[in-house]
Amino acid sequence: MTVLPFLIVAAVAGTASLLVRAHRGWSTTFAVAGLGLMIASAASIGPSAGIRIGGAILAPSDWLRLYAVLGSIVGLLLVAVDGSAVHEPDVPGIVVLGLGAAVLALALPDPGIAVVAATAGGLAGILVAAPVGAAARAAFVGVRELRALAIAGALAIAATAWLARPLGDLSAVPAVFGLAYLAFAIAVAIRFGAIPFHLWAARVADAAPGVALPLLMAWGPAAFAAVALVWIDQSVAPLALPLGNERSLTAAIGAVSVVLGIVAALIQDDLEHVVGYTITADAGFVVLGLAAFDTAVWEPSRTWILVFVVGRSAFAAWAVAIHGGFGSRRLPELAGWARRAPVLGLALVVIAAVAIGWPGLIAWQARTALAHLALPGALAVVVAAAPLASAAIYARILWIGLRARGSAVRNGRGERPGWPSPWPRRPMVGLGRTERLLERSAHAFGGLLDILWTLPAAARLNRMPLASIAVLALAGLAFTVGSGGLGVPEAARAVPLIGELGPVAQPTPSSTPSSTPSGSIGPETTPAITFEPIGPSPSLSPSPSPSG
Amino acid sequence: MNPALAAVAAVTISGAVLAVSARDVRATVLGLLVVLLGSPLIADPWPDPVSILARIAATLLAVRLIAIGLRGEVVTSGSRLGWPAEALFASAGAVIGFGSHGLGAAGLGPAEAQAAGFALIVLAAAPLVTGRDVVRLAVGALLLLVAASAIRAGLDPPPSQAEQLVDAILTIAIGGAIAVIATAARAAGGLDTINAGGPGDRAPRLPDAHRPPPDAHRPPPDEHHRPPPDRPTPVAAPNRTPRRAPKGPSPAPAKRPPEDAP
Repeated sequence: MTVLPFLIVAAVAGTASLLVRAHRGWSTTFAVAGLGLMIASAASIGPSAGIRIGGAILAPSDWLRLYAVLGSIVGLLLVAVDGSAVHEPDVPGIVVLGLGAAVLALALPDPGIAVVAATAGGLAGILVAAPVGAAARAAFVGVRELRALAIAGALAIAATAWLARPLGDLSAVPAVFGLAYLAFAIAVAIRFGAIPFHLWAARVADAAPGVALPLLMAWGPAAFAAVALVWIDQSVAPLALPLGNERSLTAAIGAVSVVLGIVAALIQDDLEHVVGYTITADAGFVVLGLAAFDTAVWEPSRTWILVFVVGRSAFAAWAVAIHGGFGSRRLPELAGWARRAPVLGLALVVIAAVAIGWPGLIAWQARTALAHLALPGALAVVVAAAPLASAAIYARILWIGLRARGSAVRNGRGERPGWPSPWPRRPMVGLGRTERLLERSAHAFGGLLDILWTLPAAARLNRMPLASIAVLALAGLAFTVGSGGLGVPEAARAVPLIGELGPVAQPTPSSTPSSTPSGSIGPETTPAITFEPIGPSPSLSPSPSPSG
Repeated sequence: MNPALAAVAAVTISGAVLAVSARDVRATVLGLLVVLLGSPLIADPWPDPVSILARIAATLLAVRLIAIGLRGEVVTSGSRLGWPAEALFASAGAVIGFGSHGLGAAGLGPAEAQAAGFALIVLAAAPLVTGRDVVRLAVGALLLLVAASAIRAGLDPPPSQAEQLVDAILTIAIGGAIAVIATAARAAGGLDTINAGGPGDRAPRLPDAHRPPPDAHRPPPDEHHRPPPDRPTPVAAPNRTPRRAPKGPSPAPAKRPPEDAP
């Protein structure tokens, strides 16, 4: 099946959810139904089922399918956590629409169109970043986010437009490609809120609902970065131009984001700020991937993107569950949280294990490969080992959770399950065997009705345990992805196969001059593929096109 | 030069000048409408009818959303330079864009599109950098994205139907985003309330050119106490739109939020 059903379901469900936003229950119901359908349609996407619509190709791949499946599952669990914990308005619809826009961007082989789609998806997130009826702070944050998205989008559109045609003699001028490359790389850094472009992202982390942070700061920008990766591999890297300064600047932004993001997360007391800065730190490795002009970067980059977005989503969901359960996001007020929420404590341990990693874990390998491909030796070692310091972030949170309970935790919900009403007693009065059998059947039916009628109240009473279970499921999913499960390495190596659609995508047997086998994670080499923009074929490269 | 395309580009640039320099929000919205309608037409050949219809529909929806977000507001801070200076800057940008068509190589689209794109970038710069209210900043963001699309139209082959559709989605998305932000700002007290909470917390500075009369921000207190017709009322909301309630005593200055930067 093509990616089209997924996009249609996302557009319809997301729009319907926002249209009935005044009725929060219906809005969430439409979004949950849409996410369920999106999981099914994403799972049925065939890696070779491309489709041509309006002169453009929608080209799926194994990686796109995994991104869509994981995004839909994570979105569903995030909505579940949101509904159980805080139930913010508009978030479910925005999650659905944002995922649809991200998948649309990833399915478009032409980076020039893809960046427009990714920018549109980012703009949809402003609806939750600037909630209607909130204070001036929300408008302040929203308009700054709008400005950042517009600048990033304009940079990316201009960069892709500049190089998407025959350049003639201009192709011998490195400055042209350097400028275009730098513009797109900075656009990606802005979208991620990488340091030093992090101010708007920090304000968004402060104002936006916690459950929307993964979409605003990870899933959407990750799609944008994946488009950038394709574009660099297609239009810039094959020429082997001396772009040392531009690459160094990009790598510096990535390395600084990794290190300072961890430091910033360590000193924050607000859980959503901690989540935001850990996203910034992890996004630094994605930016590092843009600085390595090597086909070997293809696989670790796309592996890390999946590990990063799922892992940070789990952490954001954990923070939302804590906020919903104890009514506070500030760590000093959350003393003893782990004593009342042991399932959330377990989830945090799993999230921390994936975030820190260890040699041999697929996430660790991907991170190390990215650092070594983009940075010189000693610096690469430092940056690759920097996430070890994030152990202090999680240890601090856990240590606070194991202290004596504070007032917020004492007055909070806790994870102990309960039932809203006492179980009714139904004494047996029948004497005969048949009589007792019929009576037992009637009692069983009555008991079933009792349970069904009490379920809504029971769900409200057990919001915290339900949220904790959803967070634990997310943490488990993050661990699975981080350890290479669900076919992540294979999907990261895969390329779109849309040969039946004609000359748009042509697998080529040889790789770019600078290519090396992507053996840093797996033994298989990365196959090469050519994406050509719609329209006249560009004559940028004297050599075969890069892997796409 | 294609005279028809040049005329469309000139109209588009004029709309942008109106959008960035007007203080009446209705004029600003009208300028945005002209920009969004005109920019897809600076192409050679013109888009097919279906694409044009899609872009027009998206534009009307986006502008309608913006108008809903700004309903009841009458003035923005406008341009401190005045429209003649903005028009001159835009003309200079257009000349540079036209003269540098292709940016070093042969452009596959019309030079007029690149000229319009450069002019819009010049016009968007000031609102983006120095904008002190929601409308100014949002107009700058919208013009910047339209400018990038126009430059793409000037450099690359004509966009396909799919690209036109994605551009239409972007138009709707930015219109909705502006509407949401404007609504949030109005709920918080006015379009210029975004200054509260910003780094620096500087007091808004009155425009240098075409200083509005002191009662420009103050709507009449009652429908029955309208000012006499001969009294200059530079900004008047339409009758069918509800007027803003008179502002009470000026609120205390907003507290500066905690600095998020590490």
